[in-house]
Amino acid sequence: MSDNMKNVKPDDRPPMRMQSVPETVAKRHAEKITEDAVKSSTASSKKNNNEEEYSLNDDRRVKILSPGALVAKRFFRNSIALVGLIVLIFMFLFSFLGGLISPYRQDQRFFRTDYIYKEYAGVVENEEFRYAAEGSDFTTALQAQMLLAMQRGKPAFTYRDVAYEIAEEGPDFYSISKDGKVIGIAYKDIVSPSVEGTDIPFQLKYDALKAFVNGESSFTSGSDEYTIDEGGVVFKGDAEVAFVSRYVVNSTMADVFLTRDFKEATAAAIATEDPDFIYTDENGETHEYLIEFNPEKNTWSVRQETASYVYDTYSAPSKEHWLGTDRNGMDMLTRLMYGGRVSLVIGFIVEIISLVIGVILGGIAGYFGKWVDNLIMRIVDIFYCIPSMPIIIILGAAMDAMNLDPKIRMIYLMLILGFLGWPGLARLVRGQILSLREQEFMTATESSGLSVPRRIFKHLVPNVIPQLIVSCTMGLGSTIILEATLSFLGLGVRFPFASWGNIINDVNDTHVLTTYLFIWIPAGVLLLATVLAFNLVGDGLRDAFDPKMKR
Amino acid sequence: MSEKKAKLPETAVTPVEYDPQYILMVNGLKKYFPIKGGMISKTVGYVKAVDGVTFNLKRGQTMGLVGESGCGKTTTGRTILRLYPDKTAGQVLFNGQEVYDLSSRELNAMRPKMQIIFQDPFSSLSPRLPVGEIIGEAVRQHNIVSKEEYNDYIDEVMDNCGLQPFHKDRYPHEFSGGQRQRICIARALALKPEFIVCDEPVSALDVSIQAQIINLLNDLQEKNNLTYLFISHDLSVVEHISDAVGVMYLGNLVEYGAKDDIFRNPLHPYTEALFSAIPVPDPTVKMKRIVLEGSIPSPANPPSGCKFHTRCVHCTERCKVEEPVQKEIEPGHFVACHKYD
Repeated sequence: MSDNMKNVKPDDRPPMRMQSVPETVAKRHAEKITEDAVKSSTASSKKNNNEEEYSLNDDRRVKILSPGALVAKRFFRNSIALVGLIVLIFMFLFSFLGGLISPYRQDQRFFRTDYIYKEYAGVVENEEFRYAAEGSDFTTALQAQMLLAMQRGKPAFTYRDVAYEIAEEGPDFYSISKDGKVIGIAYKDIVSPSVEGTDIPFQLKYDALKAFVNGESSFTSGSDEYTIDEGGVVFKGDAEVAFVSRYVVNSTMADVFLTRDFKEATAAAIATEDPDFIYTDENGETHEYLIEFNPEKNTWSVRQETASYVYDTYSAPSKEHWLGTDRNGMDMLTRLMYGGRVSLVIGFIVEIISLVIGVILGGIAGYFGKWVDNLIMRIVDIFYCIPSMPIIIILGAAMDAMNLDPKIRMIYLMLILGFLGWPGLARLVRGQILSLREQEFMTATESSGLSVPRRIFKHLVPNVIPQLIVSCTMGLGSTIILEATLSFLGLGVRFPFASWGNIINDVNDTHVLTTYLFIWIPAGVLLLATVLAFNLVGDGLRDAFDPKMKR
Repeated sequence: MSEKKAKLPETAVTPVEYDPQYILMVNGLKKYFPIKGGMISKTVGYVKAVDGVTFNLKRGQTMGLVGESGCGKTTTGRTILRLYPDKTAGQVLFNGQEVYDLSSRELNAMRPKMQIIFQDPFSSLSPRLPVGEIIGEAVRQHNIVSKEEYNDYIDEVMDNCGLQPFHKDRYPHEFSGGQRQRICIARALALKPEFIVCDEPVSALDVSIQAQIINLLNDLQEKNNLTYLFISHDLSVVEHISDAVGVMYLGNLVEYGAKDDIFRNPLHPYTEALFSAIPVPDPTVKMKRIVLEGSIPSPANPPSGCKFHTRCVHCTERCKVEEPVQKEIEPGHFVACHKYD
């Protein structure tokens, strides 16, 4: 063997140039060159040189990319990771630009005019006889006697030795006469004056009722001619003087005076059995009124439709609110944008806090080793033992008790999550640095006399950064999830600040869950897409950073 | 601290005077690694990886260092280069300068003069640096060449080592084992060293590549008047490349001298046994193998007296008690064995 060795002279070494390339390969190269030559005339000179034709020169070689470009290239070849990146870019634009573009503020509440029907008036159909008389002869006792006689169907009766006669002038309309002279009437249709404060003379009342109950359209009372329409309105010439109706309309609201017009309209509606009617009052306000019959009491209640200004809650998606509004009447889309901003910012800040603490402590532990490493790793172990969820819940409750400003609360939340999140990173960094320190290339840097900063930043750090980036990207996803969980539980970001978690928190009963899908589905989808995208990008980065991966 | 010191065995050596013909003088070099044990991790003992190594190396020569696995060859090489923070005892004079007396700044200035080529070409190159940077970063750090010459210089070094300029931007993982070893050599060479420790540079490579690398090292030695300390367990390779050969056993240099003296006339029983294992490429030759009984003792608890006495066929009572010292039997041929007293 030693003889063999001696025979291998330096000159016998296989030359570095690839002369042993099979002919077919060389041919292919030559063909490729010919193609290239068509494109660029500069290549033609090289073609003539036989030696160069078989060698791999710079033109024919795969382009060498810078390390960053190489990673980017590998990353962009990964279509799944690319999808994740696009989703993330969209999320960032949506969250950070969206808030600027959106015409609404995140805590802007919207109102809508809602129509509610308020109890406005009650209507009773008069079922009892009312009495009117000329003079004062028609006493209460006499009225009772008259009613008695009417019920018995007696046309005449005697009361205190005076004979009275009862005449049925029409349906539910009777007159009582003494000595052939009408002294009073009993009626159910009420005659009220058209002009408030005026009285209607007995004779006119008598004549009007007589005409009304018998369905006549005109009558004469005294020397005047009157007309009466179907609704019971009595005119003298063109002037309205009285109104005859079976219905009694009373205001149910203390400060409302019901005008005659309104009463007429109501009566007319009841008479024609309309369920609703529209009435314009003297001030020009038009309202819709609903009439509802209560058969037990034999009354009608009139309810006025009034416009009132209410929070525009749970309104369905529309032109103004693309994703509708939430429980508080705020624009869903705008809140999603601001919520994304909060979720992403919290994710990043928490991750940065964890990263700084983790890298410094892990780096110190890994680089210095010995008791420093021991101490720091025991601290890490202790932090691992802390049940983070109960701690966060307790701290959340404590912050509730302190009545913190939502903004300060948000900062505290980031600090708490950050301080609870570093042990994993510290362990990662420490492990990496420990294993790298033992690698021979670190010994080589020492034997080459490289400066310590260069050793750390050119040899150690670049070998840790990929794992850090991957770990942080993945960690971002879980931090956002954690934040959403806390906000959902009401321990994280608080109203009026939006976060995807507390948007989903609006869904607190099955009614909202099933009826208002636009409340929780968009937030849930955004959350899912963001976390998924972070994980996909993390995976893609890990593959891209791994130089051993095949191109 | 004082307690720890007290536990260490006697380490004093008689200092040697600097002789300018030697680029490297190693005198009584010892390197012990503490064994930690117990609850509070106190030192319970020492692994005597290098336990008294003495040799001198002339400028432009190659010394082969052979021995079994675990006999302390690599530790010797690394201790000489001060790749451990301290040595246990002895002297390492590089160009007359005690390596362990240098301040860290002086040491850094001295680093380019003494380089190392590692055994494993896969773990000795930083995976995230392009080859040009691996070779060149220390060149820039030590200002070996001016900025204008830098690129040409790196190209030249790479060309010397059989690498092409376009390899500069590639990463170590894109190379084969042989190419990676060339990169390691180029990295060492780029600093214009005077002395290179070759720590089994070919043992991870297949035979044809071994030949390439060995020849490359030979060429470079001629060109740049390099001095090698060539650590190997492959006697054929050592025979091919060395001018002097040292044989190590359990931290001791048992025999050391010119290559021809050692190969022609091995004196130490261990060397005899070792060399009898060299295969002869002739099937008709009946080989006289000296088969050593047992295995190499633990360096943490080495045998008393001559460390080899447990396996030596010539073992006497004296060997078990008294540690042999290095004696010059022929001119330039040293051996540590009581047989030659």
